[in-house]
Amino acid sequence: MGDGTTVVTPDVGFVRSLQEAGADTLKRCYQCATCSVVCELTPKDNPFPRKEMVMAQWGMKDELAKDPDVWLCHNCNDCTKYCPRGARPGDVLSVLRKTAVAENAFPRFMGTIVGNPGLIILALAFPVILFGIFIAIRMGSGQPLFPEGQVVFSKFFPIHYIDPIFITTATLVMLSFVVSVSRFWCRLNVQPYKLLAYGQFMPSLIATIKEIFLHTKFQKCDANNERTLTHRLVFFGFIGLFITTNWGVFNIYVLGWDSPYSLTDPRILALFHGSKELVFLFYLAFKVFGNVSALALLIGGVMIVSNRLKDKGFVSKTSSFDWLFVAIILILAITGLLSEMLRLADVAIPAYTVYFVHLVFVFYIIAYLPFSKLAHLVYRTVAILYSKMALRDVM
Amino acid sequence: MADNSKIGVYICTDCGIGESLSIEGLEKVAKSELHVPVCKSHPFLCSDDGVQVIRDDINKEGVNKIVIAACSARVNTDMFDFDQSLYVTERVNIREHVAWTQPPNTEPTQAIANDNLRMGVMRISKSEAPVPNTTDVERTILVVGGGNAGLTAAIEAASAGYKAVIVEKASSLGGWAKKNYKGYPVKPPFNELLAPSIDSKVKAVEGNPAIKVYLNSKILQIAGEPGMFDVKIDNAKGESSSEETFRVGAVIMATGWKPYDASQLSAFYGYGRYKNVVTNVEMEAIALKGKIARPSDGKPAKSVVFLQCAGQRDENHIPYCSVVCCNVSLKQAKYVRESNADAGAYIIYKDMRTPGIYENFYKATQDDPGIFLAKGEVRAIEEAPDGSLLVDIDNQLLGKDMRIQADIVVLATGMVSNMLPDGMAVNAVTPEYVGELITKKTQDGDIQELNIFPWTLNLKYRQGPEMPHLKYGFPDSHFICFPYETRRTGIYAAGAVRHPMDGLQSTTDATGAALKAIQCIELTAQGKAVHPRAGDTSFPEFRLESCTQCRRCTVECPFGVLDEDEKGTPQAHPYRCRRCGTCMGACPQRIISFSNYSVDMISAMLKSLDVPSEGEEPFVVALICENDAYPALDMAGINRMNLNPNYRFISLRCLGGTNLVWVTDALSRGIDGLMLIGCKYGENYQCHFIKGSQMASERLSKVQETLGRLNLEAERVEQVQLAINEWDQLPRILEDFSEKLKGFGPNPFKGF
Repeated sequence: MGDGTTVVTPDVGFVRSLQEAGADTLKRCYQCATCSVVCELTPKDNPFPRKEMVMAQWGMKDELAKDPDVWLCHNCNDCTKYCPRGARPGDVLSVLRKTAVAENAFPRFMGTIVGNPGLIILALAFPVILFGIFIAIRMGSGQPLFPEGQVVFSKFFPIHYIDPIFITTATLVMLSFVVSVSRFWCRLNVQPYKLLAYGQFMPSLIATIKEIFLHTKFQKCDANNERTLTHRLVFFGFIGLFITTNWGVFNIYVLGWDSPYSLTDPRILALFHGSKELVFLFYLAFKVFGNVSALALLIGGVMIVSNRLKDKGFVSKTSSFDWLFVAIILILAITGLLSEMLRLADVAIPAYTVYFVHLVFVFYIIAYLPFSKLAHLVYRTVAILYSKMALRDVM
Repeated sequence: MADNSKIGVYICTDCGIGESLSIEGLEKVAKSELHVPVCKSHPFLCSDDGVQVIRDDINKEGVNKIVIAACSARVNTDMFDFDQSLYVTERVNIREHVAWTQPPNTEPTQAIANDNLRMGVMRISKSEAPVPNTTDVERTILVVGGGNAGLTAAIEAASAGYKAVIVEKASSLGGWAKKNYKGYPVKPPFNELLAPSIDSKVKAVEGNPAIKVYLNSKILQIAGEPGMFDVKIDNAKGESSSEETFRVGAVIMATGWKPYDASQLSAFYGYGRYKNVVTNVEMEAIALKGKIARPSDGKPAKSVVFLQCAGQRDENHIPYCSVVCCNVSLKQAKYVRESNADAGAYIIYKDMRTPGIYENFYKATQDDPGIFLAKGEVRAIEEAPDGSLLVDIDNQLLGKDMRIQADIVVLATGMVSNMLPDGMAVNAVTPEYVGELITKKTQDGDIQELNIFPWTLNLKYRQGPEMPHLKYGFPDSHFICFPYETRRTGIYAAGAVRHPMDGLQSTTDATGAALKAIQCIELTAQGKAVHPRAGDTSFPEFRLESCTQCRRCTVECPFGVLDEDEKGTPQAHPYRCRRCGTCMGACPQRIISFSNYSVDMISAMLKSLDVPSEGEEPFVVALICENDAYPALDMAGINRMNLNPNYRFISLRCLGGTNLVWVTDALSRGIDGLMLIGCKYGENYQCHFIKGSQMASERLSKVQETLGRLNLEAERVEQVQLAINEWDQLPRILEDFSEKLKGFGPNPFKGF
């Protein structure tokens, strides 16, 4: 046999790990290919998820790692609905994506910790301790745990603590992604889709981003089309909150306008030529944008839960990994909005407590981005981009 | 008897007959033309009332030959059931074959009914009630083979009150089932392998006083016929051996299977060259030792590759599928997994065939994370220096070449019928009987002769010592309708000797065969045919003073009824007979007849027809097989299809009974064409008598000469192969032949 032949030895452990991660039905597949026929997203040539099913059954870890197709799947579960054997290809692909995230993670142990729902306490303990130390430092200068007077979060956890923490974290996340994505790209970029020409990069990237924003693939989903709306809400909610955060940074460091954004702050009034009305409108725009984004996230999260609770039989059985992620989105949105309300109500202890929890989960979302389910933001984008460049993804 | 015979004709006018035909016309034919003493019509003949009319005539008028002109002979047989030892009953079909296939009240329609009545009366006038040939029988069943099928057959026979004798060549009972580590599950939840259960059957046999077991024995000869087979065996006892003889009433051949000779798979699969390439049978032996370990060095096996269809579904080895191997490999894959939780078992198949309930076993086994299934083909097998094997496959599910590293490769070699002597190639068995073709020099040049190998049964039959096979050494039987009926009356094949099957199926099979054997013994005692004319008490009679010792009958009998003496005179073993009449058709001297079926009878029927002396439309007689063509014609009637009115149908027990004199009889009477409608023959035959329609066609091929002598076209005689489900083609078949005959013009003998 020539080069390139896969040498197969039994990897029962890998199959078992897939089963334990939620793909417990994967062995049922008998290769009728109904899944590939009903899938609206699969390319005509060498379609998924049939071949992924047999690769998973055979425990072909390396083959799966270099398969861009698992990311072309948007988990709409048409395949699972029509599978005559109850093999749930939708769930299997979802577990395979999770496996790919863990496999490409840098540092790898983070992939293991975040990928394992049982270690959530460990993952949350880190920000709790970290933030606790900072609060302790603040208290070291004689301040009480819960500052007195009007509720102002920066009194509880000063901005000059938050920024270095999160800027460092974000930088590390970026670095992690650079390593992970280059690993991922190298895995993808082998036969049969090895890219010969890179000339298509920009058009492919534009097409990819356009497609992601328009949710074109989601709209093709037949069995579970509510997901287009819920994903849009969560997706644009996160983007809105990302913009809000950066807007806040802009306010502080560019405009010099600190939280709690006093409308009579002379610096901001000077900027708007003394017009209180314009300052108020600017303030209102900022607040409304942030709140709407948070609400979008909350509503999206609630809809995901309610859709999943509706027993459609075919819908993703949802691993604990998945539930964990939904729970974190909800906690994030709820603690965020609740902090705001408690702050306005000016009840210090609850407000500061909820804010602390909120901070911990914000940290979770950002710091663990390359290892959590949210990593699909990057992996899927890269995989779709790659597939478009390789003329694999024809949409 | 002829003097005492009194014919009564009973015409039913129900079911549209009365509306379609002139009943007076029919009565006139019966009374004025045929001078039948009793002729009556009835509006509902198959009612108790109608049948009472007939019974009254039997009792008061002395009617003993009953012609029922009504529906098909295949219906209402329970109503028109008169003691066949005293009375002859003839059914004239004027319903399905006339009233339902012809336009009502036309001259041609009436003409068919009149002719059918003429033929019926002629048939019955040449017919006598047969005297049943009852006999003493031995109510013991010989079971050849002491494996699962044989043990089951013996136990079933014994529980039905019969005695059984098992003759087993090995030194113990149990057969292959004893060599299995475990069995695959046959009931839910289908995920636990079963402990072997054959020991309980062995115990049941050993403890049963009605079952006698001969181990280390083989059959030297089986002579005789159903009810009275004389068996001679060689029974080895230690060093010495002794002959024993005993009598049995029927035989069950449960000699089972043998694994395909894997040494034939050496070149491609490396069997014999690589120590760790084993067969599925050898894998059982490995499992029986405890751990699944490599034969080469005893290391525990971490990866085992099963190659399905090894030398199967392959014209160079075993051309067929052995059915069980997919289940066996799934079972053995579980051995591997149970032996080591991290071991993998790969099954590379052409198709996964786990029919029926075993689909559940397949599902349950597939669920195991360490069992890897894929459709694929083996490209090559190599041995690595450490003794492991590298199996190159084309994984067709992935469209990809793969190399699997294996500690053991298991070849799913197939099952070969034990009808084949050891070492004989499955794909090149001589036709009909297992043997070899030898060239003999004669005065007429070299001729090829089949030398049949004596192997298991050693039958004392003219046609050879062993059972005929259909293909690949599996004993021939009417596979669709009568799977147990072999071509030797009273000898039934059961289990894997018959076709590849597993233990569960062979248990069922052996049970069925035991019941067939019992049925055969009991019907034989009453002088009745067993199959397919079950209950028929007629026997072929031979006027031997006119026999020319031509041996056609002894050669052609599909069931080996006839032996012959040195001169070639036939010697009948009547209880082997199935009453098809093939011998009767074969005999050029016409010396073979039945009391109720003869060459003369059909000739007389042909002569009784009112053949039109002129007319555009060819007048045709069709000889039809009673098993398929006759009911096909009924079906055409039930479906109210219109048939060509210029046909007359004469039913035969089998086309094999066609005597060439009928061709002359028909054509010299001015009949334009003769058609034979019978069963399909060849590999997928459906002839109830196996070779009857084929014999007819062989005989017809020689009819040219006869027709030439009459100055007639050979195409005026045609044989059609028709299965019962092809009834819808009948109108076209009749029309086509009619059209063809038109091309030849009328029979020049018309009007003579």
